[in-house]
Amino acid sequence: MMNTLSSKTLKKLATRPEFYVFIIILLLSLFIQAKSGLFFSNNNIVDLLQSMTVPLIYAICAYLGFISTGPDVSFPLIAALSGYLATQFVFVTGFDGPIFVVFLVAIFFGLIMGAINGFIIANYNFPSLIVTLGTTSIFSGILLGVFEAGRIKLPESMIAFGNKSLFEVTNAGTGLGSSLPMTFLIAVSLYILTYLFLNFTMAGRGVFAVGGDETSAERAGFNVKRIRFGVFTVNGGIAAIAGVCYSIESTYFLPTEFAGKEMIVIAAVILGGTRLLGGVGTLTGCVLGTLLLTIVTNSLILIGVPIYWQKFIIGAIIIVGTAISVIQISDLKGFRRNKRRKVGVA
Amino acid sequence: MKTVAQTNETATLRNKSKFSFNKMDGNILRLLIIMFTIFIVASITKPDTFLSLANFLSMEKQLVEYGLMAIGVGIAMIAGGIDLSAVYIANLSAIVAGLFMKTFASAVTGTEQILFIVLGILLGLLTGVVCGLFNGFLIAKLRVPAMLATLGTMQLYMGIAIIMTGGSIVSGLPQPFAQLGRTNVFQVFTLSFIVYLVIVAFFSYYIGKTKYGMKLYLLGTNEKATKFAGIKNHKIIMRAYMLSGVISASAGLLSLARINSAKADFGSSFVMLTILIAVLGGINPDGGKGKIYGIFLATIIVQLMSSYLNMFPQISNFYRDMIWGIALILVLIINYVLNKKSEAKLMRLTSQ
Amino acid sequence: MSENLISVKGIHKYFGGVHALKGVDLQIKKGEVHCLAGENGCGKSTIIKVISGVHKPDGGDIEIDGQKYDYMTPTESIKQGIQIIYQDFSVFPNLSVIENLAFNKVLANKKKFVSRKEFRRIAEEAISKIDFDVDLDALVETLPVADKQLIAISRALLDNAKLIIMDEPTTALTKKEVKRMFEIIERLKKEGVTILFVSHKLEEVFEICDSVTIFRNGKNVISCPVSEMDEKKFSYHMTGRHFEEDAAPKTRNIGGTVLETKQLSAQGFNDVNLQLRKGEILGITGQLGSGRTELSLALFGLLNPDKGEIKIEGKEVKIPNPAKAQELGIALVPEDRLTEGLFLPQSIKRNIVITRIDELSNKLGIVNTNSIDDESAKWVRDIGVATKNDEFPVSTLSGGNQQKVLLARWIASEPKVLILNGPTVGVDIGAKHDIHNLLRDLASKGMGIIIVSDDVSEIINTCDRVIVMQKGQITAEVKEADLNAKTLANYI
Repeated sequence: MMNTLSSKTLKKLATRPEFYVFIIILLLSLFIQAKSGLFFSNNNIVDLLQSMTVPLIYAICAYLGFISTGPDVSFPLIAALSGYLATQFVFVTGFDGPIFVVFLVAIFFGLIMGAINGFIIANYNFPSLIVTLGTTSIFSGILLGVFEAGRIKLPESMIAFGNKSLFEVTNAGTGLGSSLPMTFLIAVSLYILTYLFLNFTMAGRGVFAVGGDETSAERAGFNVKRIRFGVFTVNGGIAAIAGVCYSIESTYFLPTEFAGKEMIVIAAVILGGTRLLGGVGTLTGCVLGTLLLTIVTNSLILIGVPIYWQKFIIGAIIIVGTAISVIQISDLKGFRRNKRRKVGVA
Repeated sequence: MKTVAQTNETATLRNKSKFSFNKMDGNILRLLIIMFTIFIVASITKPDTFLSLANFLSMEKQLVEYGLMAIGVGIAMIAGGIDLSAVYIANLSAIVAGLFMKTFASAVTGTEQILFIVLGILLGLLTGVVCGLFNGFLIAKLRVPAMLATLGTMQLYMGIAIIMTGGSIVSGLPQPFAQLGRTNVFQVFTLSFIVYLVIVAFFSYYIGKTKYGMKLYLLGTNEKATKFAGIKNHKIIMRAYMLSGVISASAGLLSLARINSAKADFGSSFVMLTILIAVLGGINPDGGKGKIYGIFLATIIVQLMSSYLNMFPQISNFYRDMIWGIALILVLIINYVLNKKSEAKLMRLTSQ
Repeated sequence: MSENLISVKGIHKYFGGVHALKGVDLQIKKGEVHCLAGENGCGKSTIIKVISGVHKPDGGDIEIDGQKYDYMTPTESIKQGIQIIYQDFSVFPNLSVIENLAFNKVLANKKKFVSRKEFRRIAEEAISKIDFDVDLDALVETLPVADKQLIAISRALLDNAKLIIMDEPTTALTKKEVKRMFEIIERLKKEGVTILFVSHKLEEVFEICDSVTIFRNGKNVISCPVSEMDEKKFSYHMTGRHFEEDAAPKTRNIGGTVLETKQLSAQGFNDVNLQLRKGEILGITGQLGSGRTELSLALFGLLNPDKGEIKIEGKEVKIPNPAKAQELGIALVPEDRLTEGLFLPQSIKRNIVITRIDELSNKLGIVNTNSIDDESAKWVRDIGVATKNDEFPVSTLSGGNQQKVLLARWIASEPKVLILNGPTVGVDIGAKHDIHNLLRDLASKGMGIIIVSDDVSEIINTCDRVIVMQKGQITAEVKEADLNAKTLANYI
């Protein structure tokens, strides 16, 4: 009984993309360990977790976008602009209170920007990629043109929060130390909140329903427009949190460091098994996909690959990842086809 | 067949109303009006700077590069896809051609040098063809959605260019090639602008008047139906992205000649701008609609606007990003409203 | 039983300038199965949407269970026990059966949070109403079509539905599945549920319905018990025209073999041997899933055969893709007009000339606009496509005229073999008549025609010979002399 049960679960597991990503991560880390001997060291693991923090938060934005509607590429610039505004808030008001207020200010601006995306996408049903490309350009113009934002050293209160760490480790062998910042805790809490929201609220189920079949969702009584609007608005808020986290990590506000980060995040989310056309994907997949890409980008040096191979490898991963996921979808269709009838279009 | 008699009148009616329904003409007219309005406003408010030969020459030089890429993106959009990699194909092609010329053509002179320069240009174009075909392969054969395929290849081509150059700028090209970027024809046209006009004319005709073009439009409308109509879809798609690739490569080469250098991540803001131009020009992101000369007019509009803004020193370059972003979204909304209207009109027309 | 559950009177509805409902009356008695029939665009779906509150009428009364309304809202409609089973069943392929069953009810109760237990309880309650046996945790995308429909039905029953509106419910079902669905309808009827059955399939209407209302041009033209209805009356009221299916001109000159298959096998069918002769109309019939569609796709190069051979005029050929099929003189009018056939927003003209585009272009690939205009005009005229202008999008045409456009497209390619899969599905009776006549005409000029259809009367009226398929194999061949509804029904 136990035996059949576990083999069944194993079989079920083997059909999940997350499973393969997990296997790849395992093999890759063993390979890096074998080549460099530095992978499974306490400080490397903590370094990995630390550099995963912001991409992990971004991944929620990309994930929610894909599940409900389509790609959202605006989160890095929303992060930048709301991060900037929150920093300015501290400077202008001389605010010295608890750090969460700074986050709240950023979230406030992030939500507004997200709502702009959400309104245009939900109301007119435009392709989300084109809309978010457009708003990215707008936010970037506001940040660099209107505010003429430059490199800014963060206010002391924010740096102080950044210096707090959850724990620190020191590698006995190399003597290198690493610490895990508090921001990692923020990422973890966001995942827990998103998980709870998606699985235990009707609105959360609505996100999947809308992505699965828009018309059916409408008929079932979901408010499709409101759900899409909500998703992109919330995405703005989450992106804002990521923006503040990123600044805190680097102790500087770096206005030009944000743009372009969306690609690697989208790659991670797709690798994690999120379906391009909506409705399918898990948060576990997002975490694993992000972990894989972080290992790839962080560890290239460990195995002696020059850093300028990075873009190439990310591009290759996006292509291979999407191609595999597309082939999986058409396999599924093939399976249905066998049961019913075949439509002869590849 | 009883029904033949009663519908004989359809044919006669048809000839009468042949020009009554032509949706694109409205769009072209709108574009012309916008173009002339900007032109007149700019000429009146900034007569000295705007209406100068130097300004015209610089506008010509600037618009050519993204104008060409927009045509490539437009062709992909007519096919129901998109090409986000156009800018990076342009950069990669320029780098390949540039490195080739630096290596082979700089050391020699005379006809031999010209030969290597021509070979370099051909190699650049070939790079565009190969990149485009790879996009087409992913989209047509592996069925990866165009948006994601080209999002991936955008990184890939940039990555290849970074690997080839180590991330640095390719510069110092042989003199005769750089000269191309400085050549003017009849004093008022840059050579690159002439090349651009030829390419625009060719593709307006090619996409608008040939059987390939017609198949492309139909494929963009309903891919499954073209397959059922005996059309080899993958050939049409592969060719569309190949064309986009080679057009982008020519943009890259013209840019190489103009600024005498190339880099893996030049012009990343063009990704958004090319989409804006295509949409403004009347290309429907859902596929199957729009004209190449619409893209041409949209390119002119964007350049006029851009040059006009340039005449206000207080407006920084970054403002332009914001303006393009707003323009893209406004154009989408305006097209949406106008489409609704014309649909309603059509419904009234067809229901007796 | 005489009391009306629903009574709408004098309903008007305008869309822009279009008068879609012109003072419609519809009465449905409590506990009956009422059929609503009519050609495409007659206002059937508009009245459904008025009753379910999707559209607000521009005049008229709605009375439900004795209560009067000026208009309905979706929530009020559901509250009054009105449920619709849509043609596409309205399911979420990416979610589990449980969620598909429970969503509507949970949302209607305005619950904000998910209780797994409650979801499961609702789902179990739903399937128990029709003794539907299904894995509740399965993803809906892995289920067969019939199960998706049963999900939709059991979901509709949850809210103590008084009236269930079924919109063309049998379109995607096999005979067996239809039978099962009719059993469920009988069962619901016994439990006092009223059913509005939207269909234009005559046999089904007679089999399952108590009374019938027919719409034509936005007006109800007749309403009576099914017992007072017959086939002739039915088609007369649907179209406003009298039809005589002229079975007489079947005597054609049947020539030599044009298409032959030997032991042809592919995914979906095995060892098919068939022969088609010039001037012959061959019917291929069988249930959904019998392999009939797959066979037609294989003959057109859309499905690669695993083994066997295809011969055209005695010569063995390989058909790897539709382009090759076209070159060999084979044409296929596909099953699903909207997704496989037409380019909806494109002009009628482009939709017609697409198969001839290579011939209408010069060596450089430049199309000859004048020849295209002439070609299109000729077909619009000859086939009788009712339009004011062939520059209009093909989407502006009625179903019948759209099908004519597709026929024109393929006849224009001058095929030796014309295969039609469901040539008159969703086509009104008038156009159906025209299309049948056209096919006979083409056959008499020597074209070999294959009609793939499960419309028995269509097969009987047009075909010289019929092949019956079951589970991917040919199980019977019926010659014209024996061709009647009974023999065919026996074989299918």
